[in-house]
Amino acid sequence: MMSVSASQMHNGKAGSGKSTALKLGYILLYVVLIAVAVFQLFPLVWLLFFSLKNNQEVFNLPPLSLPTDPKWENYTKVWEAGNIGVYFLNSVWITLAATALTVVIASLVTFAITRMKWKASSLVLGLFMLAMMIPVHSTLIPLFSMFNKVHLIDNPLSLILTYVAFNMPITIMILLGFYYALPKEVEEASVIDGCSVNRMFFRIVFPMTSSVLATTAIINIIYNWNEFIFVNTFISSDTLKTLTVGVQNFIGQYTTDWGAIGATLMISILPILIAFLFLSDRIVEGIAAGSVKG
Amino acid sequence: MFKKKWTTLLLTASLAFAVAGCGNNGGNANEGAANDGANESGNKVTVNFMHLWPEGVSAGQNKIVNQIISDYQNENPNVTIKQEVLDNEQYKNKLKVLSASNQLPDVGVTWAAGFMQPYVEGNLFTPVDDLLSGELNGKFVAGTTEAYAMNGKTYALPLEFNIAPVYYNKAIFEKFNLEIPQTYDQFKTVVKTLSDNGVAPIALGNKDRWTGSLWYMYLADRIAGQDTLAKAIKGEASFTDAGLVQAAQEVQALVDGNAFVKGFNGLSNEEAKSEFINGNAAMYLMGTWELPNWTTNEDIPQEFRDSVGFFKFPTVDGGKGNIDSWVGGPGVGLFVSENSKVKDEAKKFVEYFVTKWGEQSVTGAGVIPATKVDTSAIELPQLYIDLFTEMNKASSITLFADVQMKADAAETHLNQIQSLFGKASTPDSFAKEHDAAIKAGK
Amino acid sequence: MDKVMSNKKIIALYVLPALLLILAVVYIPIILTGYYGLTEWNGIGSPDFVGFENYAALLKDSAFWSSAWHALLLAIFSALSLIIYLAVAMVLASKIKGANLFRKIYLIPMLLSSVAIAQLWLRIYHPTNGILNSVLESFGVENTPEWLADPNLVLFAIFIPILWQYAGFYILIYYAALKNIPASLEEAAKIDGANALQIAWKIKLPLAMEVIKVTIVLAVVGSLKYFDLIYVMTNGGPNGASEVMASYMYKEAFKSYDFGYGSAIGFFLLLICLVATWIIRKLTATKDTIQYS
Repeated sequence: MMSVSASQMHNGKAGSGKSTALKLGYILLYVVLIAVAVFQLFPLVWLLFFSLKNNQEVFNLPPLSLPTDPKWENYTKVWEAGNIGVYFLNSVWITLAATALTVVIASLVTFAITRMKWKASSLVLGLFMLAMMIPVHSTLIPLFSMFNKVHLIDNPLSLILTYVAFNMPITIMILLGFYYALPKEVEEASVIDGCSVNRMFFRIVFPMTSSVLATTAIINIIYNWNEFIFVNTFISSDTLKTLTVGVQNFIGQYTTDWGAIGATLMISILPILIAFLFLSDRIVEGIAAGSVKG
Repeated sequence: MFKKKWTTLLLTASLAFAVAGCGNNGGNANEGAANDGANESGNKVTVNFMHLWPEGVSAGQNKIVNQIISDYQNENPNVTIKQEVLDNEQYKNKLKVLSASNQLPDVGVTWAAGFMQPYVEGNLFTPVDDLLSGELNGKFVAGTTEAYAMNGKTYALPLEFNIAPVYYNKAIFEKFNLEIPQTYDQFKTVVKTLSDNGVAPIALGNKDRWTGSLWYMYLADRIAGQDTLAKAIKGEASFTDAGLVQAAQEVQALVDGNAFVKGFNGLSNEEAKSEFINGNAAMYLMGTWELPNWTTNEDIPQEFRDSVGFFKFPTVDGGKGNIDSWVGGPGVGLFVSENSKVKDEAKKFVEYFVTKWGEQSVTGAGVIPATKVDTSAIELPQLYIDLFTEMNKASSITLFADVQMKADAAETHLNQIQSLFGKASTPDSFAKEHDAAIKAGK
Repeated sequence: MDKVMSNKKIIALYVLPALLLILAVVYIPIILTGYYGLTEWNGIGSPDFVGFENYAALLKDSAFWSSAWHALLLAIFSALSLIIYLAVAMVLASKIKGANLFRKIYLIPMLLSSVAIAQLWLRIYHPTNGILNSVLESFGVENTPEWLADPNLVLFAIFIPILWQYAGFYILIYYAALKNIPASLEEAAKIDGANALQIAWKIKLPLAMEVIKVTIVLAVVGSLKYFDLIYVMTNGGPNGASEVMASYMYKEAFKSYDFGYGSAIGFFLLLICLVATWIIRKLTATKDTIQYS
């Protein structure tokens, strides 16, 4: 921990200016950084404006202009039409459950594959990687008939199982790069200390990977939160559907209410924005190799 | 600290399992109830009904559906109608997945001809001819149920009936002293005048492809005649017919004359429509389902709604077509699943639904139903009355090509339409591709 | 040590739950897709076994090959843009002032669903009142391009939002990987007199190499089976100019009722991904894994 603050001080000195060239370089860097930041913030502002327009204004006004009378009623309309509250709760718990399961199970698998010694490990890794390559639409019909046979259609469990299974490969892949980079001394130290494998994993390795856990959690949350193909296919009861279905409520046979869709998207982005801000602060400095022993 | 974090995660996971367990029980309980109902028919019955009128946007339709269902449930206390609502695209996908596992809802929405053919051939829809000879006998507009008939049996009852006129913006026409074109030559002059004055003549969103198909169909109908077009689509004649090829050439001539809005091949119908509503484009060829937008939709400026008129697609000099021949046809209809455990109840519900829909949909949702409407008994905007009159005068109505053709041929047709408009396909290859696809019979 | 780390019971306990789930939920569909690919089936009733007929047709299907070519182009572009993402992540992971805030802002677009991204870029590309053409017009460009309607432009026009959509994803992964490098290593290098570029090139890059390799595979496989924005923004058009394998598969299976052929495309796509992964692994193979020293 000491080393972090030391390096910040060091950089601080460099920033306060040795040569003008360096200073100019920094100014240029900040100009670029701020320009990109504005560009990246633009979609959120655009979405907010979009959600305050009616169909005519969505198509006719320039994207970054506010209509003369903002259509706040889009939000009331969204809130009143359909079961948005129920969808919301379903989205939250299904996303959280699937994400927690995926991250924990994938960590166990990655640990076993990268750190433990067994013959079939590369074959098993291959099986997980292959699972990443199948296009989603190829799986709809087989999965439906399978869940139908085990009576899991119109049951949130079918969604959680599918989300966990389909996000598992990518989660393992991301974890893989980090586990390979974990210092060897970790195991050596713990084995010498007489740790069991379970203890080693849960007490030492798992906490050491908190950065990548937060990363994969963010990615899983975003995927699960925005998913709609499986929801539409496996769930038929309105009380079990999720927030992405809320968007559908405004796509009609012949017309689509874009403003209301914008409002739905705006409402649905808030929870993941909060989750993201919270989790992204968990991506922290790695622990120095030497500190494990102590 | 790390320990704490881990404990929280574990807790979340186990909680998730617990909640999932709850959901599991809930789901099964529901399913159980539904099955029980089905088995003891006559006692409590649940009819599953899948449709595509969500509350948010198809508010009029959704309200009628709910009204009809609640009335029906009041009149038949033993019946519960369970709805599932999806949007158009998702609805079609789900129907496909459900049919692969033989799990269609008891009652659902279908499109005519080519769309329903695989379902009929796979014995998934049940014939509803008994309903046609019952209370509904003579109630349908002539020609509407035929689109749902196959091998002499009718497999669904239509709810809508549409034709496609050319809507135009009267204000723009006045500004440039333009008259409603009666002949195609006059039409071309109108296009040229508008284009020369920097107004996009026609709004077209050809990313959706069926929109461009309407233009080709009308030109084919007016030049080659309704009969030739109908035969070619059925595979009884060739698309290489001189008149049909000429129609394709005319399409490209329109493109060359800048008749359509800029970038039309990349625009959705939704975007093109807004060009028309915003007054950026003067004409828009589209179905009568748009009528609420030109009459009662408060979101659209009154000034614009007052200036929308329509004209019939003009005749072509020397062409075999008739000005009273229309492109159109029934939209969606209701089917009853062949494997439904509550087939009789489902059929009764469909009969009730179609009747009530016919009574309420014009005034309640601005939809023109496939059942006959007594226009004198209800108050309607003039545009509706004029179009009802035209419908009754129609010499023939050619069903939308992509609806008529079998699925694979329809895809070829739509792709070729986009290619023709984008000039990636010549009129000759356009014709040949059509013949090949229709001949393949898929 | 080895004995502890090869405890069969523990391995089974760690791997089996995930493996069983994958076998049930992903492998059954893969196997069935492989089987449907050998049949003629419209999705209703029972499939007719036709052997390799679909695959024979596939090899001769020019529409399929052009979609495969488009997907391959996307894969190449995606892999190349990883360099930019890595550079951005390096800046964000460095200790410049405000890096934390910049990182959060930079990653916000990845929270948007495909529906929102598609709508945003449709407004940007709109031929008459889109942002892009408005800007071009203000610079005096007369015949502004029809981005999504011009077969020569559409593919590249659609690549940009796709690359942009995934930027956050990769920047996030790289950021975490770079953060994971112990600060002590950088300190040591600094004491030895290394400058920022040298540290990036000699220390950070090699230590993040395993993660970089993984992201190359993810980017290529993800691109080869890409679907979302293409389907919403252009539907593969005009005239198939922006069709990719997954959108072609979807159309064949769900629009043309040709589920057998669609499945064959899906299975073939899987094989292509497999080959691509194998090639990438061969190309990026290093003799031994770099360890902290």
